[in-house]
Amino acid sequence: MLRLVRIEFCKLRRKNSVWVMLVSAFVMPFFAFLYFGYLGQTNIDPRLFYKWSAFGYTSFIILPFILGLFGTMLMHDENRYDMLKQLWIVPVSKMGYFFSKFFVVLAYSICFMFINAFATVLFGVIPNYVVVEWSSILFLLERCFEIAVLTAIAILPILAVSASQKGYIFPICITLLYVFAGFLITPVNTWLHPISCIMVIIARNGAVPGMTLPQSSVPLELLSICVWGIASVLFANLRLSKRK
Amino acid sequence: MRILLWAEFQKLRRSNIIMFTIFATILIAVIVLVSGITGQLAINSAGWYMTITQVWATMFVLPAVIALLGSYMICREEQDDTLKSLQLIPVNEIKLTVAKMTVALLFSILIYLLLFLITFLTEAALHFSALSMAVFSDFLKMYLLEGIGVFFAVSPIIALVPYLKKSYWLALVLAEVYSFSGLFMSMSNALKTFYPITAIFGVSGYYETTIQSRGCSLGILVLCGCISALLLKNLNHRQKE
Repeated sequence: MLRLVRIEFCKLRRKNSVWVMLVSAFVMPFFAFLYFGYLGQTNIDPRLFYKWSAFGYTSFIILPFILGLFGTMLMHDENRYDMLKQLWIVPVSKMGYFFSKFFVVLAYSICFMFINAFATVLFGVIPNYVVVEWSSILFLLERCFEIAVLTAIAILPILAVSASQKGYIFPICITLLYVFAGFLITPVNTWLHPISCIMVIIARNGAVPGMTLPQSSVPLELLSICVWGIASVLFANLRLSKRK
Repeated sequence: MRILLWAEFQKLRRSNIIMFTIFATILIAVIVLVSGITGQLAINSAGWYMTITQVWATMFVLPAVIALLGSYMICREEQDDTLKSLQLIPVNEIKLTVAKMTVALLFSILIYLLLFLITFLTEAALHFSALSMAVFSDFLKMYLLEGIGVFFAVSPIIALVPYLKKSYWLALVLAEVYSFSGLFMSMSNALKTFYPITAIFGVSGYYETTIQSRGCSLGILVLCGCISALLLKNLNHRQKE
């Protein structure tokens, strides 16, 4: 498995667009910087600033979309260059292939969220919006790591859909709808959608101010993410075993 | 030109992209309806569903879908290696690009009309008594103008895709961030008028604005169209060189 993951990273080195996509980690910290500048506030509660730049739209929309696109890209390139047949001949196990892609997505997700955390601190501290406190920075890093891991798992359904398709149009449409559904379903019912579940988990114990969610049971949300993840892996296994 | 348009439609008929786009449009309507019904908003307030669906669809999904459709059409000749055959016929590349952009515009309008049809029929099923001809025509005009506006707003991104070559995925990220940023731009009156995505709402009549602001928003969308025309024209020159 480690060799497969290493090969995936070697393939990534040739793709500049993957690295350019990481720039989108700066989008929400930059908007938070503009927003609080527009309001003319200083000495903001760090958690409020983090909510805007890292826990809100970044984890709701930007990260799931980027990961969905990234996963589709990884799967599509293999199809486009007709590499799958050669991989099956080696032989590479179908689940090994699927999980190697997942681990790359996971690593990318962690990188993305750490860049976002760095940008959050940068845009929060330089204009003096938040006071530097190690405890709050550690809290930010911890939550960013949680978001990264959970979102990578939440994106498994997209990865499974991408694995089952030769083209990239359908997985991308599904990614857009999946992210959109997560955004709209969250205020109604959180355990239906993995992205909504992440919101409950990161906002546990009232850690994120102003985030009102209809449910607050962390074990139930974790169970929901697991159910979606397992169903996706089974679906991917089924579809990949049928493919020649 | 008519032959080129016909050829583009024939090519699209063989592709699944149209089915996926229709599927995405229907699903947007379903997702908004489910969230509205569960939150009691779609049932209690007449017109809520038709108003909210177009806003969410424009802010989150449809610009990226239209950019995807447009860039797919523009890039496929080069990706499928059919551009050489077309140049041998010879097909005028500027006319070919105009035909592709026209088809993308038509699909953008059709997507919004489909969304309008779904939301109107649902609204009729939920609050038939509250609907009138005025409501019908107002919303139809709004959706129609949004279909045209979204195409113009994303046209620079569509035109940028051939320049990105293998990095065409970036265009999708750009389209999504571009449309989603509209949420923040709508906080300021000035930005709301000049940011292309929110300018669409100014032109369509969703935002209550002055005639001057509406004119500025329209100007911005026309400017987007001009930028994409310039980008595509330069691309044709570059290919000839």
